[in-house]
Amino acid sequence: MVPTAVALSGRSAWKGPFFVAFPNLRQALENNVPITTKARSCTILPNFVGLRFLVHNGKDFVPVTISQDMVGHKLGEFSITKKRFTYRATKNK
Amino acid sequence: MVHILGVLLPDTQLAKFALTHFYGIGHKTAHRLCARVQIHETCKVRDLTSNQITALTAFLSSPSTQPSLPRYTLATSNYVPPRVGEPVPENAATITSADGAPVKESLGDRLRNIKIESELRREIRENIAHQRMIGSYVGRRHAMGLPVRGQNTQTNAKTAKKLNRVERY
Repeated sequence: MVPTAVALSGRSAWKGPFFVAFPNLRQALENNVPITTKARSCTILPNFVGLRFLVHNGKDFVPVTISQDMVGHKLGEFSITKKRFTYRATKNK
Repeated sequence: MVHILGVLLPDTQLAKFALTHFYGIGHKTAHRLCARVQIHETCKVRDLTSNQITALTAFLSSPSTQPSLPRYTLATSNYVPPRVGEPVPENAATITSADGAPVKESLGDRLRNIKIESELRREIRENIAHQRMIGSYVGRRHAMGLPVRGQNTQTNAKTAKKLNRVERY
């Protein structure tokens, strides 16, 4: 799969991929500090590779480590928002 | 009955519909394909000549390596046709564009990019495996056998339960 095609599918090519500029990017890469973000729609750029993110899923921040193959996808794809239903006999547990 | 690359094309069907028996060829592509190997609209499979069948087989076995269709330019405004009875000049067969350069290959030849049968299946399988490997939402949903694009799952979702898995084919 071509990452650029993923990034630009359905979006005008002249705009380029949508991304959020994180001000603490270099600092995070040096100190290996995760970046806490709510920008789920931010495209993963090649310079994010190796970074750690804490991506909001609506409730809490899910840790995501960026690898080379994830380039071109969105941050939100790796932070699931749905919880599997599990039956509990009592509510107060 | 005609076999092309292991696919059986029924005799009684129109060629443009019979070609859709190939995995990866729909009506549109079948139509373009017929135009390319010069099969007319109402030609049935039993009426195909052996040349046409050979041409189809040759094209479908490796679409990407087929020669691109030449783009024939229209005659320029100062073109004078040879008089009737006069012999056609030798170089008339090689059509050149307005500035005398030889005809370029057409760029919009999308038919060369088609993937059919096992090649297409492999591509789909690779795409799903890629999603699964990086652990994205799409990959997870495939592994769970559930719809990928936000459809309801309380009822129905039958197609997804049937098709969605990591090893689809």
